[in-house]
Amino acid sequence: MYGRLTRIPATVIAIGAGLFTLFGLLAGDNLGLFSTLAEIGRIRESTDYLLQLVVISVAVTVVIGILNLLWVHLTRIRYRRAGWGYSIVLVFSTLTVLILTILERASVLNQNPPLTTILLEQVQVSIESALAGLLLFALVYGAARVLRHRVSAWGLLFVLSLVIVLAGALPLGITLLADLRDLWLSVPVSAGARGILMGIALATVVAGVRVLVGQDRSYRE
Amino acid sequence: MLTLVLFMVSAVVQRRRRDAFPVRAIPAYDALPLMVGAAIEADRPTHLSLGSAGLGDSSTLLALASAELFYHVGQRAAIGATGPIMTMSDPTAIPLGYDTLRRAYGVRGRLNRYRASDIRWYPAGVRSLTFAAALTVTMGVDEVGANVLVGSFGPELALVADAAYRRDQTLIAASDQLEGQAIAYALADQPLIGEEIFAAGAYLSTEAGQRAGLVTQDVLRWLLIVTLLGTALLTALGGR
Repeated sequence: MYGRLTRIPATVIAIGAGLFTLFGLLAGDNLGLFSTLAEIGRIRESTDYLLQLVVISVAVTVVIGILNLLWVHLTRIRYRRAGWGYSIVLVFSTLTVLILTILERASVLNQNPPLTTILLEQVQVSIESALAGLLLFALVYGAARVLRHRVSAWGLLFVLSLVIVLAGALPLGITLLADLRDLWLSVPVSAGARGILMGIALATVVAGVRVLVGQDRSYRE
Repeated sequence: MLTLVLFMVSAVVQRRRRDAFPVRAIPAYDALPLMVGAAIEADRPTHLSLGSAGLGDSSTLLALASAELFYHVGQRAAIGATGPIMTMSDPTAIPLGYDTLRRAYGVRGRLNRYRASDIRWYPAGVRSLTFAAALTVTMGVDEVGANVLVGSFGPELALVADAAYRRDQTLIAASDQLEGQAIAYALADQPLIGEEIFAAGAYLSTEAGQRAGLVTQDVLRWLLIVTLLGTALLTALGGR
């Protein structure tokens, strides 16, 4: 009963705010009665205010994220769960970067370039670069696995596309390969990609309507 | 407005006749209960990941659709001794993750088994390879049994898929990014393609509203196809 009582106002507020914002964002300047109503009701200003609230809420979620990160890994360390050694490194790194950032913002540390920037460039960027190198091997291995495990017409078409695109990109000076690659990318590959994106767009529209009419699960349970 | 009308009509028809709109089989949704069952049998957790999908930007509805899928997976996995783990890189998805798993445990009457530490945020940003690295560590350390990676992933998905393969973990994957989708198709045991992500509710539950959404999507797709073909035909005829 309590759950139902709290759920109804929450649903009304969510749907109301959604429809109101949608109306505010759609209300243009030369839409006759539609624009007049938006002007009288100061709907556009209210919509901007609601959007600012969203931005603030998003900023707060970063704090929730840091608390989540520390909570998960401190719990792991406390109960000596598998991988607690990694967790010690993670908690130490997080706290170090947090403290350094606070000290830099408070002008206690005035090093140029800042220590946090050095850490980002020397640690994060290096690790990401190394992983990017590994990515190539994972992709090639994956393509080989398609041929071993999924020998279907679609699997073969996938690998054929890959071979055409890669062969066409080689600097061999064979015009036919480069032309075939361009044709392949501009017609079947482009059509397939657009088809997938259109499908996602249509599904997104339907999902949006479901949310606006209160059919989403979070409203009902 | 057209979408709203189609959705309402489909929902009414579906409520009156349960078998009004039969759906085609999607292998990933057929395999999902078996994958989760195998993970439970092996006393290993199921890993669910949203990638960089979050609330408040263009991936909001994708995050909600993925959450719907994770709710159904979580509901099945919640009966196991080792509960599901959910990961994300967008902080706005953290409350969504908490809510999804809490409801999944709640519907099974096992709310006492729900652990907030099973929802894990790895601060990495969009298309980050460090996020992929963090996932591979989680998959190894927590001895994951099955992975459902449905959300927003880029090429970094290849590293995660490779780690799953090496550890003999099953993988269902899909992404709204084309690079991630291509990798999901090639490397996942069962890929979901494009709008299939949004069909989870219709396939994994018997709710009329979910099935109505799917029917609306299909009708809109046919309208789009007819419009595209009609336009192309008219242009071709007009050009002569």
